[in-house]
Amino acid sequence: MKYAYFPGCSQEASAEEYNRSLKAVARRLDTMELAEIEDWNCCGATPAATVHPLLPHALAARNLAIAEEMGMEMVAPCAACYKNMNKASHVLGDDPEMLEQVNATLNGHQLGQPPRVRHPLDVVVNDVGVDNIPVAKPLRGLKVASYYGCLITRPEGGFDDPEYPVTMDRLMEALGAEAVDWAYKTKCCGGAIYMTTEDISFTLSADVLAHAKAAGANAVAVGCPFCQLLLDLYQDKLEAVRHTTFDMPIFFFSQLMGLAMDLDRAELGLEKLVVSPYRLLQETVDAPEGAIEAPKKQRPSKPKRWGEA
Amino acid sequence: MSQHEAIRPRHATSPEVVPIVEAVSLCYQCGTCSGACPVTAAGGMDYTPRAIMRMLQMGLEEEVLSSQTIWTCASCYHCVVRCPRDIEIADVMTQLRNAALKLGYKARSGKVYNEGFMDIVRFHGRMWEPRLVVQYNLLTNPLNFLGLTPVAIKMLAKRKLRFLPDHPAGRPEIRGIFERLEEGAE
Repeated sequence: MKYAYFPGCSQEASAEEYNRSLKAVARRLDTMELAEIEDWNCCGATPAATVHPLLPHALAARNLAIAEEMGMEMVAPCAACYKNMNKASHVLGDDPEMLEQVNATLNGHQLGQPPRVRHPLDVVVNDVGVDNIPVAKPLRGLKVASYYGCLITRPEGGFDDPEYPVTMDRLMEALGAEAVDWAYKTKCCGGAIYMTTEDISFTLSADVLAHAKAAGANAVAVGCPFCQLLLDLYQDKLEAVRHTTFDMPIFFFSQLMGLAMDLDRAELGLEKLVVSPYRLLQETVDAPEGAIEAPKKQRPSKPKRWGEA
Repeated sequence: MSQHEAIRPRHATSPEVVPIVEAVSLCYQCGTCSGACPVTAAGGMDYTPRAIMRMLQMGLEEEVLSSQTIWTCASCYHCVVRCPRDIEIADVMTQLRNAALKLGYKARSGKVYNEGFMDIVRFHGRMWEPRLVVQYNLLTNPLNFLGLTPVAIKMLAKRKLRFLPDHPAGRPEIRGIFERLEEGAE
């Protein structure tokens, strides 16, 4: 299927590797074609509503109108863009009066029937199907904590559970990695407030990484540029908050897909990750056959008696 | 508001706040929102979301609008999906921020951030991250520039900084959206 692709601001700057790897993956998949919306505008992220209550819907409506002209469903990789556009699509589809008000602010494109808005994770798992991904190099030895954050499944994501989503976990298993079960997969990283209250968002993000580590993960997969920025770029500060070392590479899920599909690694933007993934990949995915031991079942240790050292 | 002072219900008087009070009138104080709130747990809120709901019901407009909580809400929507009364708490926080700005309450850094962000979108049509960071820090805490250097160096090394903004062809059209909304508001 062909989708109208809305890259979003971060995907052309701080999260350029997300954009690049997702496009590379889509080029290889026969059933997922991304046609980029050339003339897109910012979705307004979280601040837009503070300026005018209609502004987020108006900004989203312009992008939705272009997708509607293209006659395709929209795919938005950034969680904040996805949430804003998805919300506008629902609200404007249900409220013709508001749609009229919004259309009056647009000069040029006009929105009729808002197209459906999708997150690429939803498309990969529910349209393409995890069994149809051509896995050429299974991600042996990677123990991935799938981190969804806030806005992929909330408030009206609709393709997975807002409290305990499993879409990305299923994807990671299909790619040959081990999906780590952990409790913090939908906790907030504080991305929306990290410029204004840095210390709070660092506390939240450090909690996320600490839980991933405690659950036995050696990598984290994300589908949001802000989660990636906070967990990766600021990982040294998060380590300082927790007085520990995480040394945890933070991949975009599309990068892991590209690795498993054995795409040209230059297309995946691995060199852009601040916490280097190369040592981990050498020890796991790229290790010679037989070098990785199958996970042993651990026997519970004998309980100690009182007073025993 | 001291803890020992008896609180008597007042009536929210500002027309901006009245609809918000109506929206939260269903709240029965179960506290699920406060339990779900990550920012509360991290100590970033002076009143919990539950307390804000109650204060709104009691008409304590001034206290709510000058609270830290409305500015530190991360809009993660955990409270919204869990609320048994289907109150859109995160959106209520946004509406409270709007009301606080309109009624001239003390501008916190959130105001500078939000307005700076939208100025950039208005001017360029898209976000240009370096300008937001520079502008925000100049206006709030210029001394912080020194602290930003290591991050800037890391981002430069990974080529994650854009030196020039990106301009879509529809830039005048995008600016038109802002202008028309402003005309409508007056």
